[in-house]
Amino acid sequence: MPAVLEFHDIIKEYRGFFRRRTVRALDHFTLQVEQGEIFGFLGPNGAGKTTAIHLAMGFVRPTRGSGRMLGQRFGNADARRKVGFLAENVALYHRPAETLVRFYGALNGLTGETLTRRTREALKTVGLSHESGRNVAKFSRGMLQRIGLAQAIVHDPDLLILDEPTSALDPLARYAVREMLLDWRNRGKTIFLSSHLLSEVELICDRIAVLNRGRLVRTGRPAELLESREEVEVVARGISVTSFPSAEVEPENRIRILVRANEQRSTIERIWSLGGEIVSVSLRKRSLEDLFLELTSGASPRDFTKIPTAPSSPEAI
Amino acid sequence: MKHFRPIWMIALNFVREQRWPILVLQLWVLGLAALGLLTDFQREREDILLMFKQLGMYGVAFSVFFGGSAIYNERRSRRILAVLGKAVTRRDYLSGLLLGVMLAACLFCFVLGFTGSWILGGIGFSVLHIWYLMLCVLAACMLASSVALFYSTHLNPWMSALLTGLTLSVPGVIAMKFGGAWGYILPVYSLMRVFLKASFEDSRMLGGWAIAVAMGETVFLWLAASWVFGKIDVAVAVD
Repeated sequence: MPAVLEFHDIIKEYRGFFRRRTVRALDHFTLQVEQGEIFGFLGPNGAGKTTAIHLAMGFVRPTRGSGRMLGQRFGNADARRKVGFLAENVALYHRPAETLVRFYGALNGLTGETLTRRTREALKTVGLSHESGRNVAKFSRGMLQRIGLAQAIVHDPDLLILDEPTSALDPLARYAVREMLLDWRNRGKTIFLSSHLLSEVELICDRIAVLNRGRLVRTGRPAELLESREEVEVVARGISVTSFPSAEVEPENRIRILVRANEQRSTIERIWSLGGEIVSVSLRKRSLEDLFLELTSGASPRDFTKIPTAPSSPEAI
Repeated sequence: MKHFRPIWMIALNFVREQRWPILVLQLWVLGLAALGLLTDFQREREDILLMFKQLGMYGVAFSVFFGGSAIYNERRSRRILAVLGKAVTRRDYLSGLLLGVMLAACLFCFVLGFTGSWILGGIGFSVLHIWYLMLCVLAACMLASSVALFYSTHLNPWMSALLTGLTLSVPGVIAMKFGGAWGYILPVYSLMRVFLKASFEDSRMLGGWAIAVAMGETVFLWLAASWVFGKIDVAVAVD
């Protein structure tokens, strides 16, 4: 089965006026999204995620390389008829919610009874049926994001491309969107999801890709990526922290040592040989956040102070 | 039909988004017409004709303003992304904007023609000539807005307006100096000359060729603008 979304060796450079300054947003970017999966697209700010999405939608053109969406070259309007797109920081016309969703549905070729029915269904799905007559100019940011989602799904697309769809939503609405995405996946739809909410991505995505400085640094199933390097946390007492330079000092004269699973036995034996006592040994599975930080900054979460650049700071993530 | 519906919807949306400046322009024309009722028509008929001509010039200026800022406003507000994220080609989008500017110009010309027929027609100006002049103004508005729209595909509104002014005035100045074929190049000057030279005494419908040329060049500029707009990155700021 052909990929639903395919980026092939794409380079995208933004050139300044008179081409004096060039910024490379994507660097030999290759990625395939298969049908029926929820694909999480991660990366720090400025990594090139939005550029990749804009390339797929045809808003920007690649400097080099090519790509296809639903079998058509990027930028093909007929392919977009089957795509639902929600931009980051959604910007919509100021008019009543129902009129607005109808407008976007009609742009995608819906007419008459189908347009009316689909508009109402979309508003119901995002929980805005009761606000259908209210002008979106008066909506909160979370409601705007929901109406943005409604215009993305109004034409029942086969592929949903969502750039930060839940960033402004409260936990309840976020849960509802998550359920909606899972339901869509179960109906055979494909979802390409860019998000900073790592816990959410970990929960629902079938595959993820991590982008850093325009380069794809890792792609795979979350379980595979997170289990690839299991670590063990050993807490001991009665030994000096100088014996294990990477250890952390804890209260009650304890130290906490993080070691790879295959180093567990030798570490315990070393503690015993130094006269120490083991308090606990527990498996420490990496979180997606750990993986993300490692891939995008080369540091562990505990090394925040060592991270030199702004995009990799915890605030940015 | 597949393309016409989104074009028509984008055009109507443009008119809706620009409803306040459009409304103010119509009210300005209607207000001046109402003010004209208080004057002695026969004694001040040359002044009334001059005011009518001034309003026609405003129409062209507003067309440049609308054409030059349409894409920029949409890109700056990022609303363009939700529209171009649908099954809308860049050419459809641009066509919709141009049609929207033309709808606004049509509305303006209709209101100006209506009030002109009412007031100028009442003091001896040929009503048929007034509507012919409106056709000249409408053709000039279409051409001027298509030049502005062409520049606005890749420039900000100020640069777009400046270059539109230069582009329209240079052939006009040369045509004024040397005449001949220069008058065929972007004949906004030729069309507005017909409009500005109109008088109570002379009701000849001159410059019909300029209307045809203006329409042809509008189509050419629309195609050129579509080609340029199809090549640029719309998700990048134009400042």
